[in-house]
Amino acid sequence: MTGVNDMMTKQSDDVIVKTLSRLLIPFMQVYALYVLAHGHYSPGGGFQGGVILGASIILFVITFGLDNALRKISERLNTIMCSSGVFIYAGIGVLCLILGGNFLDYAELDKILHVGIAQARSLGILGIEVGVAITVMGASLSIFLDIATGGELSSKEKKI
Amino acid sequence: MEVTILVQATDESFEILEDARERSRNVLDTAARLTSEVQSVQRKRVEAIFKGARQTKTEITRFAATFIILFGFWLLLSGHYDLFHISIGLLCCGLVSYGTHDLLFANPRAGDMRVIVKRFIAYIPWLFYQIILSNMHVAKLALGSGDLIDPKIVKFKTKLESDISMVTLANSITLTPGTITVDIRDGVYYVHGVSKQVLEDVMTGEMEDRVAHIFMEADHVYVQDTFDMAPVFVALK
Repeated sequence: MTGVNDMMTKQSDDVIVKTLSRLLIPFMQVYALYVLAHGHYSPGGGFQGGVILGASIILFVITFGLDNALRKISERLNTIMCSSGVFIYAGIGVLCLILGGNFLDYAELDKILHVGIAQARSLGILGIEVGVAITVMGASLSIFLDIATGGELSSKEKKI
Repeated sequence: MEVTILVQATDESFEILEDARERSRNVLDTAARLTSEVQSVQRKRVEAIFKGARQTKTEITRFAATFIILFGFWLLLSGHYDLFHISIGLLCCGLVSYGTHDLLFANPRAGDMRVIVKRFIAYIPWLFYQIILSNMHVAKLALGSGDLIDPKIVKFKTKLESDISMVTLANSITLTPGTITVDIRDGVYYVHGVSKQVLEDVMTGEMEDRVAHIFMEADHVYVQDTFDMAPVFVALK
């Protein structure tokens, strides 16, 4: 693999960085999902949650190396997540359109959810935010991987 | 007549000698057997301890432990305790612990977790006291004439064994004002200090001893093994 930064493929040999990121990454991810799920009540939402989630995975790549990270999230899965987030977003919007309202008119979701208009709006917004978070996480990770590996990664996966 | 008595006496003495030899052999055999039994029990015990240290917890146990810790963290953050938010929390924590269950408990240890947590909590007030002490020292250095300021990097070999204890010591040193852990390479610490006194405080090794005590390392682990072995010897007696 030419052009790949050596730092990316091997593990960090610093015991402090390794141990602390091992202990922090799960809490970072739970915090990201908390920011995502409590976007109605507190600052945050889909984009912020997705960025924190992406950052936690980037920290994993920096600390434990690219190979270990790709074992958890392959580039293929990452691409699927990137596009499925957009699909969730647009899908909820179009669903509202089909049910007789405007694009992203969440009140119409009450016709299939039967939970009351206010609750339907809340759930609709949550669904949108989940879509945004997944896309932002996938996109930030894939930007990072592309910069870090100089675009070599895709060809390597195809060979295997 | 005298000769027969003499022969008889010799025979008897031989018999007595033979008997004594038999007995002593029995005693020695018994002793050897007991020793080997003790040794095998001891070996099994030590093997079990080391096996326990090496044995990775099963996936399920690790998943459950990670899940419980993360869900506690979620409840601490959330503040909304209705069914909807708690079910979202369960889902999110399940997802995260599925992805990261090999991170939090990567190196299972021989020591008792509850003891470690208890000792760690007891260690924090002492650390705060040290931070206040060196804070005042550094303030004195900053406000004084500057003669005492003498930045240096020292290195020392640690007796700590595991990653987590080394990181605890490194972060304790960095938290204390005036000293910073620059690097750890193969168990050798490189510590930067702002004056002679703070570096001497680090080199006394009191902090290292306390961290070793928390994680039951260096000499502490052997003391613990002796306590574990004691009931076995009592039972054999």
